[in-house]
Amino acid sequence: MTEILRVEQVTKTYGKRGEKQYQALKGINFTVNSGEYVAIMGASGSGKTTLLNILSTLDKPTSGHVFINHEDNSTLNANQLADFRSKQIGFIFQDFNLLENLTNRENIALPLSLRGISTKRIDPLIDRIAGRLGIEQILAKYPAEVSGGQKQRVAAARALVHEPAILLADEPTGALDSKSARELLDTMEDLNQNDGITTLMVTHDPFAASFASRILFIKDGKIGKQMLKNELSRQEFYHLLIDHLDTDE
Amino acid sequence: MIWKLSLTGIKSRLKDYLVLFSGLTVASMVFYMFLAIAVNPAFIKNDIHVRTDYLKYIFIFGIVLLVIITLVYLLYADTFLLSMRKHDYGMYMMLGAKSTRIGRLIFGETLITGLLATFLGLILGFGLTWISLKILISKLGLEIPHFQAILPNAIIITIAFFLVIFLVVALANVYKLTHTPVITLLHEDQAPVKFRYRPFLRVIEAAGGVFLLAIGYYVMTLPKEQVFKIIPTALVTIVIGSYLIFAAVFSSLVGLLLKRKSFSYHGIRMFTLGQLKFRLQSYTRVLTMISLLFALALGAITVGLNFDSLNDLATQSVYYDATIVSNSSAVKKAESKLDVISKQTYHYKETKKVLYFDQAELSKQPAKYVSVNYSNNRGVTQYTVKALQVNKISDSNAIDNTIFMRMVPNHGQQKVKLVSSKELSKLSGQKNFVSLLRVKDFRQAYPIIAKMESQQVKEKPAFSALVPQSKAAFYGNSLAYSSSFEFMGFFLGFAFLTMLASTLMFKVLSGAAGDKAKYRMLYQMGTRKQLLRRSIKAEIGVLFLLPALLGVIDVLFGLQLFKDLLENPYRSIWIPFVIFIILYSFYYLLTVKLYEKLVLTKE
Ligand SMILES: Nc1ncnc2c1ncn2[C@@H]1O[C@H](COP(=O)(O)OP(=O)(O)OP(=O)(O)O)[C@@H](O)[C@H]1O
Ligand SMILES: [Mg+2]
Repeated sequence: MTEILRVEQVTKTYGKRGEKQYQALKGINFTVNSGEYVAIMGASGSGKTTLLNILSTLDKPTSGHVFINHEDNSTLNANQLADFRSKQIGFIFQDFNLLENLTNRENIALPLSLRGISTKRIDPLIDRIAGRLGIEQILAKYPAEVSGGQKQRVAAARALVHEPAILLADEPTGALDSKSARELLDTMEDLNQNDGITTLMVTHDPFAASFASRILFIKDGKIGKQMLKNELSRQEFYHLLIDHLDTDE
Repeated sequence: MIWKLSLTGIKSRLKDYLVLFSGLTVASMVFYMFLAIAVNPAFIKNDIHVRTDYLKYIFIFGIVLLVIITLVYLLYADTFLLSMRKHDYGMYMMLGAKSTRIGRLIFGETLITGLLATFLGLILGFGLTWISLKILISKLGLEIPHFQAILPNAIIITIAFFLVIFLVVALANVYKLTHTPVITLLHEDQAPVKFRYRPFLRVIEAAGGVFLLAIGYYVMTLPKEQVFKIIPTALVTIVIGSYLIFAAVFSSLVGLLLKRKSFSYHGIRMFTLGQLKFRLQSYTRVLTMISLLFALALGAITVGLNFDSLNDLATQSVYYDATIVSNSSAVKKAESKLDVISKQTYHYKETKKVLYFDQAELSKQPAKYVSVNYSNNRGVTQYTVKALQVNKISDSNAIDNTIFMRMVPNHGQQKVKLVSSKELSKLSGQKNFVSLLRVKDFRQAYPIIAKMESQQVKEKPAFSALVPQSKAAFYGNSLAYSSSFEFMGFFLGFAFLTMLASTLMFKVLSGAAGDKAKYRMLYQMGTRKQLLRRSIKAEIGVLFLLPALLGVIDVLFGLQLFKDLLENPYRSIWIPFVIFIILYSFYYLLTVKLYEKLVLTKE
């Protein structure tokens, strides 16, 4: 198994020196291997978003290192980081983040054109991922014209179309009703199991987390514990998780 | 408490506020200047050569135009102000502040911002007025050593005008905000945009726009006899044509580019085009208005500068540059300063009823005059120099008599008779002379000639009858006209350009809050900052360029309207264009910078 992501001794302190400081991350260590589906769970304010922003190179750790595909982020300058993101990372956010003034097809095309993929290859790539996510019918529409669940699928298509090394998702089901949430989670699981897409999802929802193969618990800026799904079914894993969270209170 | 919140809100957007504030300051500053010139007592007293009361009307006309543009400008500036504060207001309301309190807050904020800007504008206006008056007075060749730049009337009117406007704006703001649901205030940026339109309708609109614009441009080249039909036609067709062009042509073009994937699938071009497509649609009205007012402003400056050529016309209609009837030392001294190229002197004897001239003198050197012929085909005026026929000068029915009478000082009742030198010496009466001068460069000599004439009026009251017909008087009046037009065209154009460019700036910046998330997302996706900046430059560049382009084309055709009035309306057209380009680029760059500040978050 090859390692895709390695996080070493990452800390993050907010606030400038001399001002009131707050340490949101206090030494995070973990690795994610190729093809894994990892969920990071934690209460509000535990540092999930902070961690994800660091993993996605949007923010810099105060100390420590992040390696994606064995490349140390901290050695890259701003432009290299941008290029790195456009190549290695796919994002899904809670609030869709589609560009309202572009059609869904154009939204999905952006990461490809950004990477300078030849124009002729772009449409076939979009059609392929759209077929995979079942959104062929709505490609010509604008985001405002489709449902929240469909929007999130378009966002997923956009995150995956350029075949990034890792898919990062911050509360992807947060704004969805339970049916759409379920559909999206099924799709993500499917993509992970059948297409081998390495996924790292941040959530505080045990139901969403139960789709992952491994769950890391973050508490007060530290990884406390981890749970492995192993041979358990999703339901069993979910119940185990609920029990764990109950006893943890 | 809530006022403290309001202050911190403003503080956090201080830079944007300063831009807004400076715009309002410029508006009141220019307004005061125009007013102070229009009502300035310095111009109420007439000089003998220059009727300064023209100035008043020209500047009042300027004020009317200025009021219109100020209103438009304030409208957009206020939208920008609201767009900055909307979110905060929504927040206070959500936190439970009563809407009457919020209302009072909005009212107070708008009014205080407006009035502070007005006062600052007034103070700067005093300086601007003083400088302008100095320039204007020296241009007109007037001697007004003491003039007032601080006029209570003008101050009161300026304050009243802006107070009324800001009161109305403040009330409108209160109404708008207290009648908008809180949720919309908080999330207006995400308000959905209309996406669908019928392509067929688009094509018709586009074709109609081009057609109407073509008609508008065409009628302006037609002969000017029907100017009262041409101007309304051109106005209507160009306004509607421009509107349709902005509504349909440009956004369709962008849409087409977006569909051409070999073009659009490059970097974030797609995004830039997508932004533009929707911007152009929601900006139709403002872009149309801006292109038209730009055309007016540029036209005003160009035509204003060209009015100078009328001064040459004024000098063409009189043959002699100066008349001398006195040999006092003051007049002699003035004459010695002139670069005289010809001088002819006629001696005469004056009685109560008759002026007796020496026929020999007039035959030897006949007096010349310019015959003006307003030939009617296309209004071209012809000037022919003719010599007076000596034998007709005494004939009171002949034109030559009338013309000669206007060349010599005359109390009105006297007749002209030509006699031989012998007869003249026998006649009794006061011995007088009249010298007719031509100088090398009249326009250069004008100040001396004007002074010389004033001096002679003092010495010989009869001379005052000659003054209104003199070349100096024609030129002086023409100069007053053209200088004030030139001055006003210049300032008005300048004020227009500034306010329009900043109107466009405010319009663009008002949308920035909604764009922030988009740029953040692009950045997260791995778009380099330079690429984002380039996209912003391109997008705003197109929004600035299109109305400017259409406005420039409007001016180029519109100047056709003046080709009969002015020798060459396109003369010195580069001056307004250079001013325009400099000002406009400044606002473009400022907008880009501010927009970048608003949408690009620092990481
Ligand atoms: N920009 C910032 N400046 C200062 N403190 C911050 C900043 N961002 C986050 N924090 C603090 O860091 C801690 C972790 O925040 P973070 O957003 O990572 O939490 P989270 O786990 O994502 O919470 P949630 O589930 O509510 O999204 C919080 O206590 C928060 O107040
Ligand atoms: Mg979070």
